[in-house]
Amino acid sequence: MDHNKRSPRIDRRDFLKTTAAAGLALGSRSLVSAAGGTNDLRVALIGGGNQGMVLLESCQKIPNIRITALCDIWEEYRQKYASGRLRTYGYEHNAYTDIHEMLDKEKDRLDAAIVATPDFWHADHAVACLNAGLHVYCEKEMSNTLPNARRIVVAARESGKLLQVGHQRRSNPRYRFTYQKLLRENRLLGRITTATGQWNRSRQDPLTMPARYNMPPERLEKYGFRSMEQFLNWRWYRGLGGGPIVDLGSHQIDIFNWFLGARPASVMASGGTDYYSKDTHEWYDSVMAVFEYPTPDGTVRASYQTITTNGFGGYFELFLGDQGSLEISESSGRGKLYRDIANAPDWGSIVKQGLLREPEEAPRTQAPGVVLDVRETAPPPSYALPVQSTKLYHQPHLENFFDAIRGGVELNCTAEDGYETAVTVLKVNEAVERAGRVLFTPSDFEI
Amino acid sequence: MFHVQHAAMATVFEIRGECRDPDVGRQAARAAFAVVDRLEQTLSRFIENSDISRINHLAAGESTIVGYETLQCLQLARLMYGQTAAAFDISLGTGFENLEIVPEEFRVVARAAGVRLDLGAIGKGYAVDRMADVLEDWEVSRALIHAGASSVLALDPKAGEEGWPLTLSEPGHNGRVLAKLSARQCALGASGISKGDHIVNGLVGEPVRSRTAAWVWAPRRVLADLGRRAGVDASAAAVADALSTAFMISSIDAIEAYCQSHDGIEAWILADTFLHFPGTSPLNTG
Repeated sequence: MDHNKRSPRIDRRDFLKTTAAAGLALGSRSLVSAAGGTNDLRVALIGGGNQGMVLLESCQKIPNIRITALCDIWEEYRQKYASGRLRTYGYEHNAYTDIHEMLDKEKDRLDAAIVATPDFWHADHAVACLNAGLHVYCEKEMSNTLPNARRIVVAARESGKLLQVGHQRRSNPRYRFTYQKLLRENRLLGRITTATGQWNRSRQDPLTMPARYNMPPERLEKYGFRSMEQFLNWRWYRGLGGGPIVDLGSHQIDIFNWFLGARPASVMASGGTDYYSKDTHEWYDSVMAVFEYPTPDGTVRASYQTITTNGFGGYFELFLGDQGSLEISESSGRGKLYRDIANAPDWGSIVKQGLLREPEEAPRTQAPGVVLDVRETAPPPSYALPVQSTKLYHQPHLENFFDAIRGGVELNCTAEDGYETAVTVLKVNEAVERAGRVLFTPSDFEI
Repeated sequence: MFHVQHAAMATVFEIRGECRDPDVGRQAARAAFAVVDRLEQTLSRFIENSDISRINHLAAGESTIVGYETLQCLQLARLMYGQTAAAFDISLGTGFENLEIVPEEFRVVARAAGVRLDLGAIGKGYAVDRMADVLEDWEVSRALIHAGASSVLALDPKAGEEGWPLTLSEPGHNGRVLAKLSARQCALGASGISKGDHIVNGLVGEPVRSRTAAWVWAPRRVLADLGRRAGVDASAAAVADALSTAFMISSIDAIEAYCQSHDGIEAWILADTFLHFPGTSPLNTG
């Protein structure tokens, strides 16, 4: 680059003015919300833990959203941290420890609530918000038990309010494009016969916090926890969470149901607490499951594994058909199709329509009269998805929820959708327990 | 003693520390590494939906909202860009001045297309600073934190010791030791080109080849106060990182002047000869 072509440098005094202002200006969102006016949605954040903060970072990037109430039982740490972060982002809000007090005082000033509490609290919290007249974005899993998940579906129906379940891949532009354009409209995989998925995560110690942040035992007990250790690591405890198959597997088994357009007929599973202590890891640290899906095209067998001792390969889903294969993952940039060159028609027209990117190893241009340019072994053709998303992973799903409240779009993951996935996933733990095959009946999925 | 490592941001983060219950040290370290992983998702230009990737995709006139940590890094980068007469430039000459930062809205506006940010030069230091926040929250005060040996933050030393013993050496496996340091409550940043042409002089748009390495160190408080001028939370390691990168590019006169006019900041440059800019450093550089 030519030195002389550069734009003028920032004047040092201007620069100091800018940065001095920056130091003072983190407290007000008035400029933003003033522009939004009546289109603003007022939202309560229930649960200021890690997942609540992930959702907050997405909300911050969506215009016309105001988080005006926060509820978290951990006053000593999480409530303070989340409240501080809300203030940083200019969300003027009131903070509460008790959700019922929050709803009593705030419900008339709220449009919606985001529920990001431990799974065993989802039903009580979502139902209370729905009954208070709020639309609800409820984190997955809907609940750790099916009766409680059903309560949410019923409350959503009876209240007439919207209930979005937090399977955020359902709003991911890459997944939506792949499902609609490549699998449904163009059937690029041919007949899908097999699916597989995994989420491998490396070994982790239980979460801990400095003792000075401990909640008093009475508050822990009031909210269903035996100890701080159990509170911090609730995902591993029976009665509170469902273990990795629910925390991680649920996202991807949800994609099986969605992409295959079917409910499973059976599941076999093997799993156990093989590595960690059963005292701290009541749910299985390793699970492998095999589903059988009857689809209009025929049976699909789908396998899934989640392990928590080695992260090799990370997380992805594979769909295999008689004409091609799809690898897709929420992890950005991981999405490819492979054409079965012996059995699939040419995909040139698909590429021309812009539905797939050119094969990364396109045949080299050859001189006239030459039939082959001989070289290092060429791999079979793989095609990349043309859709990329630069938004945070949860942002499109929250946007879909907020857009649905404003009217004009349908929810991408309704209470009924979330319930079907909850049935599918929670039965895996049941199959592990029984060490056998668990059958689903159509009525299992109906409410 | 406890000693733990974690791979992130294409390097290895490491904490050596001492605390009464080493298990507490390890728990604190684990929490600190979790923060690094979260920061990487936000700050890495290699991650498609990071704040930095979104900025790098902006067309002229477009804007994007970034999170708190990204805003902090951008504000610090802009401060250091000004402080070093654009020798420190996270856009590597692609037009950092074409980005307008609107802090009160967490908004970054591109006045022109084609700006490509790479926080490689301060992201690791910023992560090290945030790791220190976590360790101190756990009341682990005796520790040495670093990312890839180039972004270093020394908290208090082990009991009974003056400081954490460090050296600056010629690059290469058997490089001569150029200086010995004893570090406590200070940050040290190092830059060099022994792994290839990765430092670009944005002023001329070419990789730096005239210098082999640069080091900057200063008391933690001095560097943190510098960053606070841009409204940035205590970020001594990030500032040291920025200065060591800039000093691969700045003229020798400019480096000397900088160290003279900033109490406590000390630098070394390895070019044809080894140069030491003691500034007015109160640190003991034995």
